[in-house]
Amino acid sequence: MTGENVLSVVVVLCLCYLVVTTLVALAFVIVGAVENAFRKLEDESTDYSTLGASRFTVPVSVIVAAYNEERVIESTVRSLLDFDYPEFEVVVVNDGSSDGTLERLKDSFGLEPYQVFVRHVFESQPIRSVYRSADYPNLVLVDKENGGKADSWNAGLNVVRYRYVCGVDADTVFDRRALLKVMRVAVQDPARTLGVTSQITTARDPERAISAKPGRRVVERGPLAVYQHLDFVRAFVNNRLAWSKLGFMLCAPGGFQIWRRDVLEEVGGYSTSFTCEDIELTFRVHETFLREGRDYEIYCLPDSIGVTESPDTYSKLIAQRERWQRVIDETVVHYRRMWFNRRYKSVGLVGAPFYLVSEVISPAIEMVALVALVAAVALGLFAFPTFLLVLGAMAFTNAALTAAAILLDDVQSRLYRKRDLARLLAYAPFDVVVYRPIMFWARIKGTWRYLRRDKGWYKFERNVRPAT
Amino acid sequence: MHELVLRVAAGIFGIAFAAWLALAVTILVERARYDRLRGEESGGVRNPREARRLIQRAGRPARTKRATWRRIAALDRLVRAGDPSVRGLLRTALSDPNDEVAAAGVRALAEVGDDWAVDMLLDALREGRVPRSRVASQLEHLAPLPGTRLVPLLRDSDPAVRFWGATLLAPYPGLADARLVMMAHDRDPNVRAAAVETLGVRDTDSARAAILASIDDPVWYVRVHAARSAGHLLGAAAAPSLVRLLADTRWWVRTAAKDALRGIGPDAVPSLLSTLTDEDVFARNGAAEVLQDIGFVDSLASDRPDSPLLERIYAAGGEHMRAAAEQRIARQERGGTEVRAA
Repeated sequence: MTGENVLSVVVVLCLCYLVVTTLVALAFVIVGAVENAFRKLEDESTDYSTLGASRFTVPVSVIVAAYNEERVIESTVRSLLDFDYPEFEVVVVNDGSSDGTLERLKDSFGLEPYQVFVRHVFESQPIRSVYRSADYPNLVLVDKENGGKADSWNAGLNVVRYRYVCGVDADTVFDRRALLKVMRVAVQDPARTLGVTSQITTARDPERAISAKPGRRVVERGPLAVYQHLDFVRAFVNNRLAWSKLGFMLCAPGGFQIWRRDVLEEVGGYSTSFTCEDIELTFRVHETFLREGRDYEIYCLPDSIGVTESPDTYSKLIAQRERWQRVIDETVVHYRRMWFNRRYKSVGLVGAPFYLVSEVISPAIEMVALVALVAAVALGLFAFPTFLLVLGAMAFTNAALTAAAILLDDVQSRLYRKRDLARLLAYAPFDVVVYRPIMFWARIKGTWRYLRRDKGWYKFERNVRPAT
Repeated sequence: MHELVLRVAAGIFGIAFAAWLALAVTILVERARYDRLRGEESGGVRNPREARRLIQRAGRPARTKRATWRRIAALDRLVRAGDPSVRGLLRTALSDPNDEVAAAGVRALAEVGDDWAVDMLLDALREGRVPRSRVASQLEHLAPLPGTRLVPLLRDSDPAVRFWGATLLAPYPGLADARLVMMAHDRDPNVRAAAVETLGVRDTDSARAAILASIDDPVWYVRVHAARSAGHLLGAAAAPSLVRLLADTRWWVRTAAKDALRGIGPDAVPSLLSTLTDEDVFARNGAAEVLQDIGFVDSLASDRPDSPLLERIYAAGGEHMRAAAEQRIARQERGGTEVRAA
């Protein structure tokens, strides 16, 4: 077999990979569409006014971990305290911030130090002090030694009072009805519902995005903002809805995740051994319950309940995504006993292998595909128009899947303006040439760092907000 | 090979481009249609033909999840429109083997809200097909409130029904007091807990006695409810009993006792001070924590910082308590200076 033949075979194999992953994605879109339709009808039939006023609605403890979040923490906590929910508490954990996060919180909410004797069920770094406020009786601030996000959430779990806990990110601002929307599912069947998450969108300035105009979803200008928005919509609507329906919702994102506290207690809380904690915890809960053959559900809902900060520069975006790639690699490889293992049902047979192929191995396949295609064109194996046609096929395949996600999202929410819909649709075909190469680079970098066993967080600077 | 790749790529390109275009047009056209119809849509039933279609859908057993929710949506629309067929449809829905349909029936019954609907809701509570907390939520938000019609639930043979009967009677002072006192000694701990909680808002001697007796209940969650009710109803009279609960083996009981003592406020101080030397560390910590939370520590630290009593509290509460109190006092003094300067 000549070198050219080998190259041809490699190119064809890569195209086959593309076709297969597209077909799988298409299958997820179809399942997601069914789930989306059912969730929409369920949402319309839910009696939120009774749920929001009833003393029988299950109370929730919200935990937010903050490390050097001076710029955003106040608006995040205000949005949490503003939740339309009958009974909840907000526990902010300051993870030894070196900026003015602690002072900002104390000043903004009139917090004063108190000695509070807390449980020590979950391992965490020592708590320095607990603050409470006379003005906000359901707000607690825990100041602790630095130990990372997972450690902070564990410290928060020791302090919380309620059966359901909601972990949120400090850079995310929420809709007033976020808890109600998500807890509607948990209250239907608290015995089986272990965890719930819901769709989060992105913006450079979440506070402005969520307060811009009630009932309208802002799509910011600029390719970076638009492509990140599309990326999140695809991830939630095209993927997680289907995974939820098929029983392998493997990533309850750190931005907003609700868990039953007793389940977290049972599995040992958040792990500090991984770069990030959210996906690993979801894998661990699935692994524990499936190994023991217990009946349970972990859901993802299509309702958009909050806006998280999106990086506003390419370097910040790469830093964020390479970290995500690393944690996926760490988690999927760590739980390799679940791959293709019938004992773990759809998680073992579909979910974990899907992650393995589409997330862990794909950077290598994409790299090979890129090199092979460029070499094939350079050696004259393929004419340049053929290369362009392949690129066009990839671009529009991706654009069609993105359009499907936009359709489902709009049918569910009806929050987009028509001109924003048109803009999103117009951007979609260029994703492959504008956004994907950045993601490709971030994933290569993340994989490389994973192979070097690097577990650094590389937190990026928060975006600069215009003065208000 | 090149030819094959070219053909496959051209095929995929054609299909993908057509799909993207079709979806884009669908999104924009469908959205425009939605915006146009939104003004006209009342959520009701527009004509008899539509009513017939909805009745058919609302009464037809659903085999898929989507069909289930289409059925529920049809039922909701008929209820909102006040269609005369809803009673029959709701009766069918409540006995439907599909739990989601039955739950939707419960929700819709609350919207109907008349005597017949209340009876149906009470039946649903007895049967327990739909989570009883959902039925209870609806019963509690009816106007007018069902009141006396809840009392028979207290005599039900099913403890779960008795539990909800006792819980739902909380907003009706004077109703079935004697029965609730008896239920504080029910053989089922859930029923005892619910009765004790409801008695917490009944200001009678028998209610007080029943609550105090429940503080020593062998089941921890009954003690939790008893602590809350005792703090609320008995005030300072309950403090000596509540401080005993600060040494309880259960975190929930200790927390409920602390909450209750905080609610009692300065009247609980004598009992709390006597607990500072308790042999149980949880009791000492808890007492010091409550003294701090009700402002007693700040008051002592500010007026008599050298007081031996303050040292006793710090000894029970730990060095963090001293540091926290000193920070609060310093902050208050700074605040006072700023006010004076202004």
